[in-house]
Amino acid sequence: MTEIELRFSPSAARDTGSFRLIELPPELCQLIDSTAESKSPHPILSIKGHPTEDAVMCTADKTYSLRSVVLSNTVLVLTPSRTDPDGTVHVRDQLHEVLELVSSVPKVHKLPVLLRGMEYDEGDEDRRATLPKFSYEQARSEIQASEFEFNLGLRDRRILVLDGWLRPIASAHLSTILGLLLNYLISLGLSHEAAPVEELVSSLAEDYEIPREVSNQIISWFGVVQEGLWKMDVSALVAEIGLALLGNYKHDPILETEFMAKWKNAVGDAFESVVSLQLLSGNYLRNPNDFSGATINFFPSSSLPTEPAARFTELFLTRQRWKSDEIGPFLSDIVVGSKERDKLLLKYARAMTTPEGTWYTARVGYNN
Amino acid sequence: MIIPISVSPPNQFSQKLPPAVAKLGHDELFLVELQGTLNVDGSETTSKDGQLIGKMNTADMNKPTLLIGHHLLEGKVVNLPKPLGVLHKDVHGVVSPDRHPSDANAGPNSAESEQVSWNVVAVVKKKLVFSKRPMPVAKPVSTASPTI
Repeated sequence: MTEIELRFSPSAARDTGSFRLIELPPELCQLIDSTAESKSPHPILSIKGHPTEDAVMCTADKTYSLRSVVLSNTVLVLTPSRTDPDGTVHVRDQLHEVLELVSSVPKVHKLPVLLRGMEYDEGDEDRRATLPKFSYEQARSEIQASEFEFNLGLRDRRILVLDGWLRPIASAHLSTILGLLLNYLISLGLSHEAAPVEELVSSLAEDYEIPREVSNQIISWFGVVQEGLWKMDVSALVAEIGLALLGNYKHDPILETEFMAKWKNAVGDAFESVVSLQLLSGNYLRNPNDFSGATINFFPSSSLPTEPAARFTELFLTRQRWKSDEIGPFLSDIVVGSKERDKLLLKYARAMTTPEGTWYTARVGYNN
Repeated sequence: MIIPISVSPPNQFSQKLPPAVAKLGHDELFLVELQGTLNVDGSETTSKDGQLIGKMNTADMNKPTLLIGHHLLEGKVVNLPKPLGVLHKDVHGVVSPDRHPSDANAGPNSAESEQVSWNVVAVVKKKLVFSKRPMPVAKPVSTASPTI
């Protein structure tokens, strides 16, 4: 049989619009193939977003932005006929667009804005009843990020989940608790490689009335908990304490040497050696100043706009020119990979090569 | 809002495509690309259901032909630069105490009560492209008797 009849499907009206074509990057193609073999009925992909947002597609651990590309040709989707499978195929749908997937950063930037006014701080129990609330489930469905990236985002933004509600913890309070944890490690003679979580949590609850669920979550943010033992992520914890300290110097810069001394003092002798300004990359501005030494001030990339154009405007308003290794940390949260970052730099900044390295300046003069 | 997308495993009970087109890589679905669109006159939305469009000759898969009315199109098999996933929409009612079992045909107004999910029904790596202008054919054979 070499001739095949093309017919509209018997349910053409219902089929129309029920098909979409989507371009698959190789890794997604593999994922789909392996899922088809395992025959798991579980959805492995999801499209997320508010109707007013640009949709994204998420796998378990990656986020892709979806873009519709219009075709000048028509693509027909054909399937075999039920009654005459050998000689007839049915046109199920006519399509004029394909969806393109571009890997993108998870859009977790919205979280702090959504959760404004819901901070968790000392003496929380009294305020709990009157607080505005935002639940974990609600955020999970609204935030355009994969499950894995969403949970990572909660962790990185230090957001507690208490009774199913999201509560960002106040930086100062978190720093206090971390300081207490470090003290306990020393005073109870525990190793930071394998500290019994239960002992730490109980001590915090008994001595300082810090709820168990709070300290448990905080412990899990800074390290790995396995079989009740906590392997502390020393540099993450030290960085967090440094960050809280640095938060006080948003407008008045502090001498770098003075800051480092304070920081070392805060983490104690045992972890002093870990302290390094590198840990706070993307959160500070350093001003080399020959007169009295370099100063630093708090400049968190998380408070900058996420739109590339707006971010560059703000960066160049803060400083007229940047070294490439200085500007890098302030772009890493809006692009995937260094190649994309260089693309952005090419688009929004002007590079200048001088003997002491490459400088970036604004393409447009924002100041005049 | 979350729209879940599942991967539907190959269904061994459903109909298979004729062998010639099944060689394109998937035995239940294939894609054909045309210039222009298939336009159908008629006011009834259901009037084109099951109607004949044309005939495809697959004797030589290097040179498949498609005959629509007086127009003969010549095509070729093209490898897609990136595989295409074909998504198919499933509409089913939300599970609620007083649900109606048959709302698949419900209008757009009832979108609130419907749950839409999408299935990856196929991953396609090749397509048939009929890109040239159609050649006129003197004698339409679209209603001709089967030629074997």
